[in-house]
Amino acid sequence: MDTRGRVIIQVNDLHHTYLSGTPLEVKALKGVTMEVYEGEIVGIIGRTGAGKSTIVQHFNGLIRNRERGRVVVDGHDMADPSLDVRTIRQKVGLVFQHPEQQLFERLVGDDIAFGPKKMGLPPEVRRERVRWAMEMVGLDFEKFKDRFTFSLSGGEMRKVAIAGVLALQPKVLILDESTTGIDPRGRKELLSRMLNLNREHGVTLVFVSSNMDEVASIADRIYVIDDGRTVMHGTAREIFAQPEVLRRYGLGVPHVTTVAHRLAQDGIPMPRVPLTVAEAEEDIWKILSS
Amino acid sequence: MENFEFLRNVTIGQYFQGDSIIHRLDPRAKITILLILVVVNSFILSFTGNVLLLSWCIALVLLSGISFRFMLSGIKPALPLIVIFALMQLFFYGDAYPPYGMESVTYWRWGIMSITNGSIQLVIVTLMRFLEIFFLVSLLTSTTTTTNIAYAIESMLEPFQRLRVPAQEISLIGTIALRFVPIFAEQMEIIMKAQASRGADFGEGGVFQFVKRTRQMVTLIVPLFVDAFRRAEDLILAMDARCYTGGRGRTKIVRFHMQRVDLLFIAFTAVFGVLIMVFRNHFPI
Repeated sequence: MDTRGRVIIQVNDLHHTYLSGTPLEVKALKGVTMEVYEGEIVGIIGRTGAGKSTIVQHFNGLIRNRERGRVVVDGHDMADPSLDVRTIRQKVGLVFQHPEQQLFERLVGDDIAFGPKKMGLPPEVRRERVRWAMEMVGLDFEKFKDRFTFSLSGGEMRKVAIAGVLALQPKVLILDESTTGIDPRGRKELLSRMLNLNREHGVTLVFVSSNMDEVASIADRIYVIDDGRTVMHGTAREIFAQPEVLRRYGLGVPHVTTVAHRLAQDGIPMPRVPLTVAEAEEDIWKILSS
Repeated sequence: MENFEFLRNVTIGQYFQGDSIIHRLDPRAKITILLILVVVNSFILSFTGNVLLLSWCIALVLLSGISFRFMLSGIKPALPLIVIFALMQLFFYGDAYPPYGMESVTYWRWGIMSITNGSIQLVIVTLMRFLEIFFLVSLLTSTTTTTNIAYAIESMLEPFQRLRVPAQEISLIGTIALRFVPIFAEQMEIIMKAQASRGADFGEGGVFQFVKRTRQMVTLIVPLFVDAFRRAEDLILAMDARCYTGGRGRTKIVRFHMQRVDLLFIAFTAVFGVLIMVFRNHFPI
C-alpha cells in the first residue's frame, strides 16, 4: 500500500546510553534508523531488552538524544535545546505498559481532563475533549465521568488511562506494550478501537508489542529491533514471510502464518502470507475450491 | 531540563558486584564496623575528630573500588534540605553551642538571629558527620547483597531471641524495605514519564519553590502509593503460596564464618574508635 503521506517521525542512526558515566551504564541503542509516515500504523518488534521502549521515548522527548544520531519529529529536531518539548508531547501521545498505574484523580473525568487542563484549554473545550477521548476508547461519557477511578475494573482503568493520553488529541499515538495484561476480549476490543482511531480520525499509530498476532493484524509496516539496532524493516507480509530470520532475533511469527508455512512445507503453498485468521480462511477456501 | 534517570541519584540500597576486600568481608563484620563508627560519630564534636573519622570513611570507600563520584551524586536530591538545615543552624544556634576548643566569638547579631564561631563550627561539623554516615551506609549497601545484610542482622540478633526479640522478622522487614528502594525509584521514573507524556511539567519552578513542586508531586505520590500497596499484597500472597511461616526452624544454604581478616578489621576499627573517644576532649580544635 502506497498511500504514504509525509514523514512525521524520522530517526537516523540513533544511539543512547542509560546512566552514562556511572557504574550502571547500559548501551541501549547502537544505531536505530526508521521513519514513520503520517497516517500509517508502524509496528516495532524485538525481544525484551532490544531497546524498543528507549526508541519510542525519544519520539516525545522523554529522552533527548545527546549522543550520535538525529530524531526529527514533525519538523522539529529533538536535540535542539530551545525546543519546548511540551508542544511535542501534545502532538505525540505515549501510552506505557500498564498505563492504569498512572491514574491519580478521584473521578474518571478529572483524570482524563488532566492533560487538556495542563494545556490551558477552557472548560467547555476540555469537556468536549474528554467526551471524545472516552468515546474513542469505548467508555460512555455520562456513565463513567463521575465514577471513582479506583473502583473501576483493570480493563476499564486501562481505557481511562489511554483516554487520558487521547484527550491531548495527538497526531501520533504510541502504544508501548499497552495491551499486555488484559483479557483476550479486552485486547481485541482495544485493537479494533485503535484501528478505528487510525482509519477514521487519521491518527498515526506506533505499536510496540511482543505479541506477533497483534502486530500482524494491525501494522502496515514493521521494524525489527535487535540489540539496539534496526535489523529488518518492511511490510508486515514481507517480515512474516521470513520466519527463520525472525527466529534468529528471538521472535516468532503469528499463529496463522505458522500454519501457512507448515502447509507450504507439505506442498500446499498459499498464495500470500496470511496475517489474520480471516485472510487464512479466505485463502484456504480458495485452495480447497479450486 | 528534565532528567528522568532516577537511579542515577539513588545510591543507597544499590548493590554493586565487586571483588574488593570490603565486598569479601563477612556481612556481620561490616555491620559491626558500621555500628562502631556510628557511635563514634555521634560523640565527636571537634574538627580534628571529624577530619580523622571522615578520612577513615573515605579510605574505606576507596578500598571498596566503588566510584567515589557516583556515591557523592547520591547526596544531590537531599541538597536543598541540607542547605536549609545548615542555614537554620548558622542563624539560630549561635548561642546554643559554645564552640569546641575556642573562645566564643559573636560575629553578627540581629534580634534572635546571630552568627557565632560556635554556629559556624556546628554547621561544618554537622555536614561532616552527615557525610560520614552517608558514606558508611552507602558502602554497606553497595558492597553487600540484601540477603547477606538480612542474614547478618538475623544472626546478630539471635542472642536476643531469648528475650523474645523477633530477630528473623526484624531482619525480614529490613530486607524488604531495602529491596524496595530501587524498585520504587524505577516505578517513580515510569510514572513521572507517563505523567509528563500527558502534559505534567516536572522540574519547573526553582528548587526552593516547595508549594509548586509539592503540587506536582501529587500526580506521582498517589500512583506510587497505589503501586506500593499492590506490591505489598502480591508479596504477601507469594510468601503465603510458598508456605512462609516465619523464621523458626529455618536453615541456611550459605553459612558465614568470621575469618582472620574480618576480626582484624573489627579490631582495627574498635581501636581507632576507642582512641578517638578517649582523646575526643583533648583535640586542639
